[in-house]
Amino acid sequence: MFNAMIIPLKYYPRFVFLAVAMLSSTLVFAQEDNQEFKEASPASQAYHTNRLKITVPPYGLVKVKALIAGIKATGGDGDVYFNVLSPKNYQSLSLPEKFTYHMIHAEVSSQNCDIPTPILEEELKIFGNLPDAFDEESWSERQLNFLVSNRDSVLSLISESINRSKKVGLNYKITIEYVNGWEMIPLLIKTYNIDHKDHDILTVLIQLMKKNDYQPFMTSATYLKLYGNNSTYRSFLNFNKANEDLIISRAENFYNGRKK
Amino acid sequence: MLLLCTTGVFSQQATAQSDTGFVHIPKGEYWLGGREHQLNRLRKVSTPGFDMAATELTNRSFEKFVLATNYRTDAERLKNAMVFEPGLAEFRWLNDSTAFWRFPNGTGRGGIEDKMNHPVTSISYADAEAYCKWAKVRLPSLDEWEIASRSGAKTTYFWGEDVKEIGQYANIWHGRDHLSPDLTDGYDYTAPVASFKPNGSGLYDMYGNVFEFCEGTLITDQKNRKVVHARGGSWWCSNYACVFFNSLDIGRVNPHASFSNQGFRVLKIQTPQH
Repeated sequence: MFNAMIIPLKYYPRFVFLAVAMLSSTLVFAQEDNQEFKEASPASQAYHTNRLKITVPPYGLVKVKALIAGIKATGGDGDVYFNVLSPKNYQSLSLPEKFTYHMIHAEVSSQNCDIPTPILEEELKIFGNLPDAFDEESWSERQLNFLVSNRDSVLSLISESINRSKKVGLNYKITIEYVNGWEMIPLLIKTYNIDHKDHDILTVLIQLMKKNDYQPFMTSATYLKLYGNNSTYRSFLNFNKANEDLIISRAENFYNGRKK
Repeated sequence: MLLLCTTGVFSQQATAQSDTGFVHIPKGEYWLGGREHQLNRLRKVSTPGFDMAATELTNRSFEKFVLATNYRTDAERLKNAMVFEPGLAEFRWLNDSTAFWRFPNGTGRGGIEDKMNHPVTSISYADAEAYCKWAKVRLPSLDEWEIASRSGAKTTYFWGEDVKEIGQYANIWHGRDHLSPDLTDGYDYTAPVASFKPNGSGLYDMYGNVFEFCEGTLITDQKNRKVVHARGGSWWCSNYACVFFNSLDIGRVNPHASFSNQGFRVLKIQTPQH
């Protein structure tokens, strides 16, 4: 029995090798288990929060807020779940007031996966798609129809608001994209250039070029990266001066060609 | 060195396309979350073990509940179900007042007469809770769902990181967009439960088919109202929109909202052992 435990000298290298292999595999496993969570930087988190901010229009705001607050709860437990203004109250609103209603209020539920998950270094990315503006709610068909049916008035009201606030809220960005508001490009670029911080404005420019099938963009490497076969809904470009300049110059060329 | 328990054990053999089987997930410690996922942080959790349904709950089982209780779902009471038809832009769904679990995408788009072995849909979290109360089962917590879906893996998918394998395991949307129908995997909407290969623990459709309601909260939940969470992606989810058919992502939805890609699976309620 004792003899069986003796390891002949000539086998020592094998056992040393085995011991090293066992030790290193343990270390690898330990390193895997000790992988630490990487939290987004404060700058990234702040950028994420800012991305989701909407602009609140001033037109009839007090009246509209009161009407929204008065919508009858239908959830059955005191919460208001399905916030649809009654036809009578809705029709009592002027066009600018209806605009305010739609810009601050969404009537139907959003998909479970329509959630803007924060990611690392968000402030250093230019995304191909905008996040959802209203948490677990979305604009209904009638709300979207209002935006399209009153496109010129809506864009005019948004322009007024942007010129006042020097900001483009997420609700405005989505609206501009949805109604194909290509006329807004100069104002969007002007607003972006104030501080070069809101990269989602660049996303709107990109989306407008895509929506209008602008060939210099549709055949570009940017398009492939954001919307090509290997892209996802979360695809992005790295934010840098070259990408910023390229997007803006393409958007300007698209606008100048389109307005003729 | 931590030894992870990775093997699910069938406590009752699951039969394909029925929803009567349960899989036992053993007591142990498990790694969850992702190193960079800001809503689902990398962490180690422990569980005393649990028995999870091998499949999503079917229309057949939900019908038994409704017939026994005369329960009316949120969609029937509130007329708020959200439905889908090809031709809609990404993330766009339609409100259809005629839709509820028997007509998941509205009466005009057909009923479930020949789909009793499909997962029940167009029900809300509140409806799922009502079923659980009646059937004396419960929804999984967010962690339990993830432990079960991973089957011991630490990767994005239970088989690793290659999304191209998804077609073997899940009913998803393979089209580039949702403007035209997608029957690439044989199903445009839901598939019968257990139509695709199970994960290593013997659980079917952990990804795709329907989003599965879970219990639990996220740090981003609003304080002034209740939101609920569902996981695993659905037949609607594509690589280009949603991409939630994995073990990492967690969605959020109104607790009374009903979508035709929302369903659930259940857990047995453990009785204390003396």
